[in-house]
Amino acid sequence: MHQSLSLSFRSAIVLLMLVLGILVELYLPWYVMGISFAILTYLLSVNPPQSFKLGFIAGFLIWALAGFWMNYQHPSGLPVRMAHVFPLGGNVFGLYVVTGLLGGLTGGFWAWAGSKLRQK
Amino acid sequence: MKLIKSIFPLILAILWTYALDHNWGTLPPLGKLLSPFHGFWVNAEQPETEEASEETLLIPGLKEPVQVIYDEMAVPHVFAKNDHDLFLAQGYLTAKDRLWQMEFQTHFAGGRISEIVGEKGLGSDQFQRRMGSVYGAENSYQGMKEDPKAALALNAYSDGVNAYISGLSERELPLEYKLLNYKPEPWTPIKSALFLKNMSFVLASGTDDLKMTNILRKYGKAIAEDLFPNYPFQESPIIPVGTLLDFKPVPIPAGPNDFVGLGSAMSTPEKDPNIGSNNWAVSGNKTVSGLPILANDPHLTLSLPSIWYQMQLVAPGVNVYGSTMPGTPNVIIGFNKNIAWGVTNVGSDVLDWYQVKFKDASKREYWHGGQWKKTTLRIEKFKIRGGKDFVDTVFFTHHGPVVYLSHETPLRSNIPVGHALRWIAHDKSQELTTFYKLNRASDYESYQEALRYYSAPAQNFIFASNQGDIALWVNGKFPLKAKLQGKYLLDGTDPAADWTGFIPQEHNPHVKNPVRGFVSSANQSSTDPSYPYYMGWQYAPSERGTRINERLSSMQKITMDSLRGLQNDNFNLRARKLLPLLMSFVKSPKPSQGVAINTLKSWNLQNSSESIGATIFENWVLNLQAALWDDEFDYDAKIPMNRPSMDRTMHLIEFEPQAIWWDNTATKQKKETIGDIIEGTFGATLDSLTKQHGPIGPEWAWYQHKQTGIRHLIPGMDALSRLHIPMGGGGTIVNATTTKTGPSWRMIVELSKEGTPRAYGVYPGGQSGNPGSAHYDDLIDTWAKGELRSLLYLENPNQKSSRVRKKIILSTK
Repeated sequence: MHQSLSLSFRSAIVLLMLVLGILVELYLPWYVMGISFAILTYLLSVNPPQSFKLGFIAGFLIWALAGFWMNYQHPSGLPVRMAHVFPLGGNVFGLYVVTGLLGGLTGGFWAWAGSKLRQK
Repeated sequence: MKLIKSIFPLILAILWTYALDHNWGTLPPLGKLLSPFHGFWVNAEQPETEEASEETLLIPGLKEPVQVIYDEMAVPHVFAKNDHDLFLAQGYLTAKDRLWQMEFQTHFAGGRISEIVGEKGLGSDQFQRRMGSVYGAENSYQGMKEDPKAALALNAYSDGVNAYISGLSERELPLEYKLLNYKPEPWTPIKSALFLKNMSFVLASGTDDLKMTNILRKYGKAIAEDLFPNYPFQESPIIPVGTLLDFKPVPIPAGPNDFVGLGSAMSTPEKDPNIGSNNWAVSGNKTVSGLPILANDPHLTLSLPSIWYQMQLVAPGVNVYGSTMPGTPNVIIGFNKNIAWGVTNVGSDVLDWYQVKFKDASKREYWHGGQWKKTTLRIEKFKIRGGKDFVDTVFFTHHGPVVYLSHETPLRSNIPVGHALRWIAHDKSQELTTFYKLNRASDYESYQEALRYYSAPAQNFIFASNQGDIALWVNGKFPLKAKLQGKYLLDGTDPAADWTGFIPQEHNPHVKNPVRGFVSSANQSSTDPSYPYYMGWQYAPSERGTRINERLSSMQKITMDSLRGLQNDNFNLRARKLLPLLMSFVKSPKPSQGVAINTLKSWNLQNSSESIGATIFENWVLNLQAALWDDEFDYDAKIPMNRPSMDRTMHLIEFEPQAIWWDNTATKQKKETIGDIIEGTFGATLDSLTKQHGPIGPEWAWYQHKQTGIRHLIPGMDALSRLHIPMGGGGTIVNATTTKTGPSWRMIVELSKEGTPRAYGVYPGGQSGNPGSAHYDDLIDTWAKGELRSLLYLENPNQKSSRVRKKIILSTK
């Protein structure tokens, strides 16, 4: 069952997750990204330990980079303020990391869940 | 087992998602909030460029298109073709910048905070409703609706707010909704009434009756009246002494029979005594331009988003600019082509307590005028977030609500239990009509006409016109009372203690074009004691008013800039008289106190931001008051009492060195003298400042010690606040900036005979309520420096100005 995935297959899955994740995030609630990853790993029967990693990477990239992109598009004092709310001492880089981690864990847990369901 | 293994990650994913989609206590819903597609990242607004842009927004309900021009401060200048569209646009545009604040403040006013924050909001919610906030708003709304123009304004404004709310997607919600995890509800006209009534809470809910009765019970009438006189020793009243009455006073009621109430107990903090305001208008013969200039700076608790929202409102019959209050239609403080007006609070006594005698525990009947009368009941229902609903029954006598029953614990120490509340804020009223008419007023007569409709909170309405008139009316609905009626708790069984009528509005204290060439107010006594009616016994300390009157009397060739200087005046009038008196008692200073003594001796009496003398003096006064009075007036937290005023204290220092009050009753062995107290508190002041800031030096600077901050409306949300603002001033200083309160809007207007008025203004915040906008706090630095921004008064929407940024057409199609 535990076939090891080739690098290109893994990259393809992450890429697919990136596209799918961004698409659903633009129109649907925040957690649908995770659900979409679960569907993907279920359909493609990705092996469970791999799926968490891939889901995490995709989720992390989507959220951290989208956060970065939002701040780049609309530069404002808000990220600094929020980095005090959280409290990260006003460190916006830290805020990207936290944002990425939340997206990553959401993506990772759901991707893992999808693949585990497949693996009866 | 295998099944469990395979669905375990799914359960984990669902739990994780659930946890991040909900708030836990004060922890916001992290997933929703941090998602770059849904959360706070979406609230970032790019600062607009200097290039003018234009867009069209579809707004249902408009009759005709409305043009909106934003200037570089992000002030909307609204050009509508009729009143309905004007108010609809005002509601829409205000909500666009301030929706969360509007809703949060009206939730607070209506006692509904527990719907947002849960159980911990219930105490405050119950207090608001027991005090009758919703009851008062409902009555007031009934009154407002009687004027068709006010009704139209309220409804259109409400429609505008709702047009904005219904167009909002979840990801566009203002940041605070995301932080607290809830959604806006539809706006209703009663919310505007709640907002207006809440101003009575902020400005006219001060009540000392309980504390005064506790003093009466402990020390007797002679001492109570001696230490709490009904007119200050030092005063410069608002209506100049010698102003002739232009009316024949109506008879004064005989007043209640002698009564010493039960008094009562409990202890928690209360309303900030530093809330007050300044305004003045100088006539043309004192100004360089020959035209009147008007200035106003209302002092309120400094908060973000800002209390005020600037707007220019233009429609047939009106072109007005000024500060609006998010939540209510019209401009509240402002100017048009012909007139300018402003307000400060009146400290009159419009809130009284009546000790209730219930027949039995059912509280269905109470004794009044020799018979049992029926109480009425009002059921208040509280929805508590994450908890069960709470239902509260409030008993009303004909006076008003019994705020706390005898066995209950009040939220604030100055609220007596077992007493019914008679408060002007409960009465039917028409404040909106006043502002509607003021916005359109063109001369003294139309200003005077507008004021007839106003009831609460009473304000000193200052006025100037381009016909050259200046005026001030101490205006509101004032109960017609016997002298001192309501200084102490009243007997609820005695009909002679009831409010039986009101001072006729045209008899309210007023002055027009006085010989001295200016009118002014700073919350001090409205009149000297010769005024025929009793309005209250205690007003704000006289220093600000006296200083303003001194300066305006001596100033000639006045310009807007010299008045800006007066708004920022840091002179400590109290210290001018008090400091030499105090210093004369420092007879044997320790060597370590030498630097402090020299600092005080060389102090220029300015409460400037860097001043060390100000820090020492202000703290010395506080410690002196505590050492002198607290042994007799704060010896038991369960028996709250007033402390004699600083005005009375200065009289005691100057003329009553032998008074019994100098002895500290806590020390049985020793009899303290005036010198012991004054010199002792000087040493104690230096010791505690050294403990706080280290040895005397730059760390003792007044602004460092005072720590002025502008705080976000969510308590403890420092990241969205502006703290440590380097400002001088003080509570009794014209520049009345304290730790938490200060000038919430500064405006100076010079009227013009033919051209447009020139005006300057600033408030400590910015037009946008969004912490992700550059306009959230962009005016604070200007404000802190004591500078003002030029206000753009447009005659028509096509007028060219380099300050025009964005143009929006609000259109129905």
